[in-house]
Amino acid sequence: MESIVEIKKLTKKFKKEKAVDNASFSIQKGEIVAILGPNGAGKTTTMSMMLGLLHPTEGETLLFGMDPRERAVREKIGVMLQEVSLMDTIKVREIIQLFRSYYPNPLSMEELIRLTGLKKEELNKRTEKLSGGQKRRVGFALALVGNPDLLFFDEPTVGMDITARKLFWDTINELAAKGKTIIFSTHYLQEADDISDRIILFHEGRVIADAEPDLIKKQLTKQSVSFITEHSISEKMFLQEAFVTDVFKKDERVHVITDDTDAVLQTIFTSNLDVSDIRVEKGRLDDAFSQLVDTEKDVS
Amino acid sequence: MKIVINQSRIEMIRVLRNPYYLFWSLAMPIVFYIVFTKIFDVETADKEVWAAHYLMSMTVFSVMGSSIMTMGIRLVEERSQGWTRYMRVTPLSDFQYFSAKMFGQTVVHVCSIVVIFTAGILFNGVRLSIFEWLFSASWILLASLPFLAIGSLVGTMKRVDTAIGISNVLYLLLAVTGGLWMPIDVLPKVMQNISMWLPAYHFGNGAWEIVRGQLPELQNILILVGYLVVFMVLSMYIRRKQDVV
Repeated sequence: MESIVEIKKLTKKFKKEKAVDNASFSIQKGEIVAILGPNGAGKTTTMSMMLGLLHPTEGETLLFGMDPRERAVREKIGVMLQEVSLMDTIKVREIIQLFRSYYPNPLSMEELIRLTGLKKEELNKRTEKLSGGQKRRVGFALALVGNPDLLFFDEPTVGMDITARKLFWDTINELAAKGKTIIFSTHYLQEADDISDRIILFHEGRVIADAEPDLIKKQLTKQSVSFITEHSISEKMFLQEAFVTDVFKKDERVHVITDDTDAVLQTIFTSNLDVSDIRVEKGRLDDAFSQLVDTEKDVS
Repeated sequence: MKIVINQSRIEMIRVLRNPYYLFWSLAMPIVFYIVFTKIFDVETADKEVWAAHYLMSMTVFSVMGSSIMTMGIRLVEERSQGWTRYMRVTPLSDFQYFSAKMFGQTVVHVCSIVVIFTAGILFNGVRLSIFEWLFSASWILLASLPFLAIGSLVGTMKRVDTAIGISNVLYLLLAVTGGLWMPIDVLPKVMQNISMWLPAYHFGNGAWEIVRGQLPELQNILILVGYLVVFMVLSMYIRRKQDVV
């Protein structure tokens, strides 16, 4: 595997506050990585250091094995920062054409329009006359203009409506299918879960988890099987199984807490228990998230 | 190189679309020119020389203004809005970004010079030799460098409002003390002595000498070069300090 991003022991101190504390990870070609964390967790600071916009207090970042400030790197990356600001008094078409001239192999105007959903009339507008959503679309186009191999998006969907958001993620999936590497930060848990194939979870400047979404969920969330039964059921029968951690009755339902819901179902069926309305509940990443943050707090 | 040309072209378009530029750098000097050469009867020995002299004053006034204000304020705007930061993740280098701005600005100056000179010919029939036209135009372009450096110094300011306020005051003060609005002889003696050490007078005087068939004085050149060096070093120093984050 080709490692495209290499973060080594990255630390950034602002005055005495550690915004990022000893973060290390590497990202392989073709990965879609979500940098997830609550506000103030150090996501933007980490991204700024990855892009060479901030000097780390300690540690280093390498993109394609080089300093991120190298021109060769900049030709291969596309970036959308938070709060897109655009050069004013020029038309959208002009700014896109200008940016196309920066890169060796830019995407065509038609391709960019298709990918970002920019409209004809928007192309002839001056940038200062655009609405927030339109500015984001232009920002997205500027990120894609150089046909980059590696894409960075800092909180990309903030301020996008549902349609815009859907188009954005559809395009991201299309780019991912072409083998592009994509890194985005978000505090929308659902987004990280839906889109990424790997989540790097930040909390108070530290990386507290780094795994595929399912694994994070599996490790850190409770799963349960619950059902209604009129008969009294021997709790022991379940508790003696290794995969069951707890059994309790609440509001007429029996809940079996487990890390293997399939095995619980099998037990129910092979024992031929007289139960109805079986529900299998898997924890969502939201739960994993707050749990992670809580456990971390307990430790520290 | 293609990148710089493209970038300069865009910078140029942006300045020309800016209503402030059109007002301050083209409309104002031309109106002033008409007022002070046609409407008020300024007592001068030679009306023709005065028409040429004041044409130079107004052209210098215009170019000085866009040097100090247009570029400086734009730099502050782009930085405070995060655009400058964004440019750092593109292949365009800081140097290319900056030189394109300078280059675009210079082309705009050429445009201002041509427009105001034309106004002089149309309204007052100012007649100079081709050599004098070209020489005075080149002087105005070259001698504007210290003022572009002041502009880039303005460009290091944090807030757009501060930059606009300070550069306006600076601009008008320089214009008055430089004898650009009214000949320097009408100022009190003390002011005249101070003006001799300020850059605007020397900027103007070079052009005034040229339209009188002489060369700019050595003093003009030396003082302008001195200011250029000081302002450039200062603005580079501040910029470097700001970059260390």
